[in-house]
Amino acid sequence: MIELLRQLARTPQGAAGLLILLLLAAACAFGPAIAPYGPEHIDFLGRFHPPGARHWFGADQLGRDVLSRLLTGARSTVPTALAATLAGTLLGAVIGTASAYLGGRWDEIIMRTIDAVMAIPGLLLALLVVNTLGKGEMNAAIAIAAAFAPGMARITRSVALVARRQDYVGAAIARGERGTWIVFREMLPNVVAPIVVETTIRVAFAVMLFATLSFLGLGAQPPASDWGLMVADARPFLHQAPWMIVAPGAAIALTAIGFNLLGDGLRDVLNPRDER
Amino acid sequence: MSARWFARRCLFIGYTLLVVSLLVFAITQALPADAAVTLLGENATPAALAALRLKLGLNDPVWLQYWHWLSALLRGDFGISMRTGQPVGPMMFSALARSLLVAGLALALMLAVAVPLGLVAALRRGGPLDLAAGLISYLGVSLPEFVTGTVLLLLLADHLHWLPATGYVPLLRNPLDSLRHLVLPVLTVSLVMVAHVSRMVRSEMIDVLHSDYVRAARLKGLPARTVLFRHALRNALLPVITVVALDVGYLLGGIIVVEEIFAIPGIGRELIVAIEMRDLPAIQAGALIMAGTYAVANFLADIAYALLDRRIRYD
Amino acid sequence: MTLLSRRHLLTGTAGLAAILPTLGASSAWAAAPRRGGVLRISVDQAVSVLNPLASRVNPEYLVAELLYSGLTRLTPQMAAEPDLATAWSANDALTEWRFTLRKGVTFHDGSPCTAKDVVASFNAILDPKTASPARANVGPIDTVRAIDDTTVLFTLKAPYADLPVALAYNNARIVPAAIANGGLDKLASTAIGTGPFKLVSYEPDRQVVVARNPAYFDPSRPYLDRVEVVVYPDPTAEASALLSGDTDLMANTTPSEFPRFKGARGVVALRIPSGQFLNVNMGCDQAPFKDMRVRQALALTVDRTAMVGFVAQGYGTPGNDTPLSPAYRFYKDIPLKQPDIAAARKLLAEAGHADGLDLTLIASDTPSTRTQLAVAMREMAKPAGFRINVQTMPHATYLAQVWKKGPFYVGFYNMQATADAIFSLLYTSDAAWDETRWNNKAFDKLVYEARVTTDEAKRRALYGQAQELMHREVPSVIPVFFDLLAGRRDWVEGYTLHPRGSLFRLDEVWLGAGAPKRS
Repeated sequence: MIELLRQLARTPQGAAGLLILLLLAAACAFGPAIAPYGPEHIDFLGRFHPPGARHWFGADQLGRDVLSRLLTGARSTVPTALAATLAGTLLGAVIGTASAYLGGRWDEIIMRTIDAVMAIPGLLLALLVVNTLGKGEMNAAIAIAAAFAPGMARITRSVALVARRQDYVGAAIARGERGTWIVFREMLPNVVAPIVVETTIRVAFAVMLFATLSFLGLGAQPPASDWGLMVADARPFLHQAPWMIVAPGAAIALTAIGFNLLGDGLRDVLNPRDER
Repeated sequence: MSARWFARRCLFIGYTLLVVSLLVFAITQALPADAAVTLLGENATPAALAALRLKLGLNDPVWLQYWHWLSALLRGDFGISMRTGQPVGPMMFSALARSLLVAGLALALMLAVAVPLGLVAALRRGGPLDLAAGLISYLGVSLPEFVTGTVLLLLLADHLHWLPATGYVPLLRNPLDSLRHLVLPVLTVSLVMVAHVSRMVRSEMIDVLHSDYVRAARLKGLPARTVLFRHALRNALLPVITVVALDVGYLLGGIIVVEEIFAIPGIGRELIVAIEMRDLPAIQAGALIMAGTYAVANFLADIAYALLDRRIRYD
Repeated sequence: MTLLSRRHLLTGTAGLAAILPTLGASSAWAAAPRRGGVLRISVDQAVSVLNPLASRVNPEYLVAELLYSGLTRLTPQMAAEPDLATAWSANDALTEWRFTLRKGVTFHDGSPCTAKDVVASFNAILDPKTASPARANVGPIDTVRAIDDTTVLFTLKAPYADLPVALAYNNARIVPAAIANGGLDKLASTAIGTGPFKLVSYEPDRQVVVARNPAYFDPSRPYLDRVEVVVYPDPTAEASALLSGDTDLMANTTPSEFPRFKGARGVVALRIPSGQFLNVNMGCDQAPFKDMRVRQALALTVDRTAMVGFVAQGYGTPGNDTPLSPAYRFYKDIPLKQPDIAAARKLLAEAGHADGLDLTLIASDTPSTRTQLAVAMREMAKPAGFRINVQTMPHATYLAQVWKKGPFYVGFYNMQATADAIFSLLYTSDAAWDETRWNNKAFDKLVYEARVTTDEAKRRALYGQAQELMHREVPSVIPVFFDLLAGRRDWVEGYTLHPRGSLFRLDEVWLGAGAPKRS
């Protein structure tokens, strides 16, 4: 793990990605503590206060401090996107590995069904799921996980198929191990590397999808200071107070860039033959 | 590409549509508040709700509703919208035509920009252009459409007055005006794909340039231009075709947001309204048409792939 | 007493006009109307319902008004004026009303419009299965009868002085008898009315096009050849379309977009105070709101002037816990309730909540101002000991699960034509939407007595007492009234913003110099 991080830090993308993510982690950990104001504290006279000494990133339509909301919101935005992606990955990985393990007709049926589900655009699937479960952060996360699972299943399966042909799986089958044991203990760990890369990049997508769901009014709900919701809230006031959209928009972009960079860095480190 | 391969692919498209219809139908059944409630809103009386539910067929058992819907569909009838009382099929297909205009233009623009960008970035690896392209693509994949769309709208339409802000003019009524109205939405949707595909082209190109195949062509003393375009580019573009086809799914999703921002009466907007209003036939038809579009796009991509790469055999 | 009540209403509006100076002041009235041209008006929601008896939202009301007529219609001063009916009179008890219809009116399909069409239309409206919003809003009608081809007699269940105004309700439109008797489904995609325009094309989510009805009963109107109603779901996009000249008129805009119109070349910003309001409803039949002191305490935490800033960006009027704004005819000027946290704390303690009170305030997501009100109220009420948890939900879920049932939620209502209309819609014991269950007998009596008399001074006194009662007992906190905001290109003439919000009167609009040629 340490070795991996050291190698990662040696690639330019990896180093930049790590730096950004460290900043984010710090915001998640200490954000509420260092925020200069309460994230929901309204101030009638401070409405639409432009960025300055009093409000570094300006104030919003209710006079709330944008910086404080941003710092507090990190805790709900980043970990939720991360959790949603991980859940989607896990679900997809289990389906994909199982499909590869089962092989034959079952593999065919599972994969064709997965392909069929993938024909529904991810955002549409997420929209349907959120509408069914009800709006809110938790449900948006479930929707994103559901939208990610088919794609991850596909990737896992293709990697697992390669792994399946490896000797250690054959050895396990020869030893007479149970099927579930083989899937979880032998095959899954060996398909992890490519999945880690893909997952990292997908966190970036999750952050954006989250923001989009909030934009459509289906994600986090007011008065939460989720970044996507902040952007959506700020959009009507773009002409009066552009800073309201700039700060959370930049935070979302920075997060997405961070995870993208980290993913590219990981790819370089984990696939040495690839000289990109 | 044998007849059997064709038949299998067509069968697969049919299977896709069946799975999608079942899945979407199952989800719509679970949606809280039905169409009768959303339609009548504050004026709902128990008598009116009962009458409307009867009229909309909401009292039938779920499997019967699905069967009615499916059998009508097999006759080419998508049903009647619960919200407007209009036939859903024509409504959705005319909306799809408008969406496809945007999507098609976005795809074309994306290919025209992304391929040369990726190519140049690969050839001048580490150069300023490569870095700039990398930066642009990182930004591209890191900004949600509703942010880029809004910013473009404010900048190009409101401040600079170069383009009309929003709205939709039918292509046949006034082609020039129609295209002017489409510039902003097309720019917005293509931006993310440019970022994605140019990175893809770049990395594929780098792979191919280092392949034995291209080295051999170089050693043979073929002119650099021939090696680049005849050998390298064609091979680098093959995987790109698949990615682009997969991106169609993303494109259709992105279009939902863009249509909302730029007031384009396309299929994405129809779907959002349909979901809000619990208009089941419209949700079904919209989702099915979107999935069908995606499946057909992938089918076409497979054919293109096979045509470009004769070495691949389809049995 | 032929036309007596109508004269009453007309004299009664003189005072209102003084309150709303913007109404008659438009210089456009001076120039002679010009005929011809195409007007493109933008709306913010789809026109999902074409059937005029069932329309529910402003864009649908607009289209219904273009295609259909009612018996009466509402002037911007909130008085009834002739539409299909040319005159009306009531018996002394105000229980029987006789309406005389215009002669020679035809529907868009050429068939004549007579008393039997009116009777059939009202029977359809009053049928609960039609679910027409008009049913609860056209007054206590018992039966409707045709005396002859041009006379209709309304018999009421109770005396009702406001009937001519109530009949101007948006959904009280006249359709052919053949359609009203069981053929209403036809109106989902066609329109057969007597309105100033005929339907040309109907695409619910894109646009509705109507063209001049050459057989309209007033030969001088409408002035426009055609009207295109274009749907823009995004307010920023809609405002940009007006600013760039893609559209000529924007029916309704948001406080955040409105400032863009001021100072924009060629665009005229339109604004009028209205009685449209947000309220926080409390279930007066259950704890903790059963105790009046809790409601009074909450009302005392709200800084109403600040709320107008937070929720309406300053484009509004502070509310005083009564549903009547200064835009209503019988508005009573009571000194504005000022925030008093100490008094609120004391009241709350007296009610047995000295350690504060935990509440969940529900706000639907449409319009978004509901949530803003809830969020601001949560912060304002905090120092007095109210710990309010704001919960948002989709509008459909809210309607199904919370509205009229929940103990604590944010409501949003349009201005109604009369004081009686809004009181008996929301606050009397027999209100159609009795959402607070306040059920105050004294209040009921005041509203009823005002309903059965045409004596202006007496009505004013009764409605004044009713407002004071609500102000004191607070069945719902009404902190803010919204101004209606809109915009037009400078070539659009003859358009006045109607404080009711759901009326547009485009038959009086014409295009002046500089209007673009649209084909």
